Amino acid sequence: MDISTLGQRFRRNIQTYVIIIALVAIWGVFAIVTKGGFLGPQNISNLFRQMTVTGFLAIGMVLVMVTGGIDLSVGKLAGFVSVIVALFQRDVWFKLIPNQPLLAAALSVLVGLMVGGLFGMYQAYIIAYLRVPAFIVTLGGMFILNGGILLATGGKTIAANQPVFSAIGQGYIKAPTNWIIGVGVVLILFFLMFQNRRAKIKYGFELKPIIQDVLRTAFFSALILIYLFVVNKFNGVPIPVVILAVTAIIVSYMSTNTRFGRYAYAIGGNREAARLSGINIKKEIFLIFTLMGLLCGIGGIVLASYVGYGTIAAGQGYELDAIASCVLGGTSTLGGSGTIFGALVGALIMASLNTGLQMMNVAPAWQYVLRGFVLVLAVVIDVYFKKSN
Amino acid sequence: MEQDIILDFQHVSKNFPGVMALNDVSFQVKRGEIHGLCGENGAGKSTLMKIISGVYPYGNYEGKVIYNGQELKLIGSSIHQAGEEGIAIVYQELTLVPGMTVGENIFLGKEPTEMGSITWDRVYSDTQKILDKYKLDVHPQDIVKNLGVGKMQMTEIAKALSENAKVLILDEPTSALSEAEVTQLMEIIRTLKQHGVTCIYITHKIEEFFRIADTVTVLRDGKVVTSQPTKDLNSQKLVQYMVGREMKERFPKGNRSPGEVIFEVEDLHAQDPSKSREILNGVSFNLRKGEILGIAGLMGSGRTELVMTIFGEYGHITHGTMKLNGQALSIKNGNDAMKSGISLVPEDRKRHGLVLIQSILQNISLPNLERFASFMRVNKDAELVESLKIARDLAIKTPNLFVPVESLSGGNQQKVVIAKWLMSNPKILIMDDPTRGVDVGAKFEIYKLMNELAEKSISIIMISSDLQEVLGMSDRIMVMCHGHSNGTLEMKEATQERIMTLATGIS
Repeated sequence: MDISTLGQRFRRNIQTYVIIIALVAIWGVFAIVTKGGFLGPQNISNLFRQMTVTGFLAIGMVLVMVTGGIDLSVGKLAGFVSVIVALFQRDVWFKLIPNQPLLAAALSVLVGLMVGGLFGMYQAYIIAYLRVPAFIVTLGGMFILNGGILLATGGKTIAANQPVFSAIGQGYIKAPTNWIIGVGVVLILFFLMFQNRRAKIKYGFELKPIIQDVLRTAFFSALILIYLFVVNKFNGVPIPVVILAVTAIIVSYMSTNTRFGRYAYAIGGNREAARLSGINIKKEIFLIFTLMGLLCGIGGIVLASYVGYGTIAAGQGYELDAIASCVLGGTSTLGGSGTIFGALVGALIMASLNTGLQMMNVAPAWQYVLRGFVLVLAVVIDVYFKKSN
Repeated sequence: MEQDIILDFQHVSKNFPGVMALNDVSFQVKRGEIHGLCGENGAGKSTLMKIISGVYPYGNYEGKVIYNGQELKLIGSSIHQAGEEGIAIVYQELTLVPGMTVGENIFLGKEPTEMGSITWDRVYSDTQKILDKYKLDVHPQDIVKNLGVGKMQMTEIAKALSENAKVLILDEPTSALSEAEVTQLMEIIRTLKQHGVTCIYITHKIEEFFRIADTVTVLRDGKVVTSQPTKDLNSQKLVQYMVGREMKERFPKGNRSPGEVIFEVEDLHAQDPSKSREILNGVSFNLRKGEILGIAGLMGSGRTELVMTIFGEYGHITHGTMKLNGQALSIKNGNDAMKSGISLVPEDRKRHGLVLIQSILQNISLPNLERFASFMRVNKDAELVESLKIARDLAIKTPNLFVPVESLSGGNQQKVVIAKWLMSNPKILIMDDPTRGVDVGAKFEIYKLMNELAEKSISIIMISSDLQEVLGMSDRIMVMCHGHSNGTLEMKEATQERIMTLATGIS
């Protein structure tokens, strides 16, 4: 591969690179200002855990935005799920199945997923089959859920701190277990790489030079191992980070390798062309908003477990963080393009700004102002690069 | 005489990275003439028009453009400047706001105001004056999206005219118009000429130059091949200039023998999607195996509505039957149609046929992903192999399949749409105006492709507004008029006159 094609590839992927460069730059600035404190093991560990709830919402939001929609209810839905889960923890399990924390935790997860999924389905039905714009349906959903949260909590804080359930948001996978898993993942990455090359040979494609594939896989492997090395100096890998990673891999795979995912991009790119290509648009939109609800369910469960209680403010403003993460990660607000990976890096940037500015003792008011500017600046840079292409 | 020249291009060149879009272009446009400009896609016509309209501002190109005796110096930041200088352009893609009225569109961006508030009465009375003057059959209060393409075009021209244009550039004005509408447009252009307006007329339909142009300039690969009076030219010479080689015939001869009837439509009646209006009232025809059936008719005669209804994506059938291989068909949507072996290449490829921001590969495989999906997963390698094969069969010109479709020329885009539908192995391929906005060379390739498909026993239904195309390609021609089939002509009895008689419903 010569320089010019490398240059072309770089330009094509500019969006992905820009956001990674932005992340590195932000980390660099914070590392200097906090004299290295920002990159300390404990902080890195917290940073990744803090992005998880927004991360789940952002994963779903990418697909919603790719189809040209929006979901304003995700923050409140995650909050509502967390409150309901807490309510079951406090009032139900302990009467029905006392002294069985594992079963109680499993049932809590089930309840959370059901609440999220069902509410998602309700909104999905109205959006897809009754053709009410997503913006309006989910704006209404936001109000409904806000009321729901107040009704469920009665305005009070509900504790959700049974030990097994707490582990979902607060636990760690420690060394050496996480090393074994980490090395396993690296081996799988290499296995998949060779598998991919074998398939290419089978179909008679020209292979990229092996060194290129190896370097790429090695790069991702190195990231995983460095991350493990750093967080193991603290407590290990937070469990919610593992759940997020697994969810992201599954949904990301779905988005590029299944009909469901491919249709989402086609609908966002040109709805009419997609319809005339025989795609059932109503069904597709219905599935996407239902999936969004399920992901809110996961987010709500992690939220309840992590903070240890359900409150009236649960999930407040998360929908805006999720949308900002997607936009930072290159998702088009017009639909048709966007990646899960980008949105997660976007969520990490939002979390980094949050933590970094807090460490610098910047007043909360100014934190909002700065985060707002960074969001707009990122999109300005993105638009500029696209234009110069 | 100097003052007779309104536009003088002197050694104009324009470079893009890797491409010389215009290479030392020099020619003159006389005041008050109708000047035809032709060339294949990519020959440099649109680049030239973008220079005159200020999209590529002064200093962005080499050479000089002398307009009205002075060098034209347009700055890039203002789209109004060319208009103020008296240069108006009607683009191939319509630039109207669908939800606004004709009057609002015509005065968009230059609404007359009194103390800051728009004087709507003036907007509509001035609009009426313009429409009256050029005998345009549109009402100022009509909402644009409710108009047919033909009337939208009229509105577009009225919009350009309201600026008191000295030079009017028409880019492919007739690509979506029916024969009657074309005639009407030609009348309008002649009226303009009498008012002293110079017209630059760009089209792919070379017959039109002989109907209207005084002079024709031919561009090829960014260079001027010739610029001479129309009376010294004939269509064969013109095509030769355009493609740079001799083209013996516009329509390739097929070698096919249509077989038994496979598809029958009997007395089809249908309403539009809102069930407010009858769009089809009695359409009957049949289609034989390996046959190309042409459907002719004026704009608004229900041709597109007919095929969209057959495809299950437009009207509600209220009466009548469709039979495939003798079996009654019930098609509720496009997916059903595809499963029955019916594919549709839609009329407007950008709006209905392609996802422009996606790659060629993604577009080709979109309706066919089911073939590559096992359980949930799409086998991307198989997808690429099959798409490559079909792209090669259709000779889509591209470095690879990962390029976004929007970067391809019209002809290649159309091939992508055809490829996408061929992959599903249709028995019946419906093509709605397959060569609209496609250059001569690519047209020929599409015709050849249609012949090959028919020889492979695929039955083709082709809608076309171009009568010569219908006559050149079809085995039989079904003519529509006001929503019903007004007769089917065998090739040997078909003439332009007979088709027009049936289409207008005079007889």
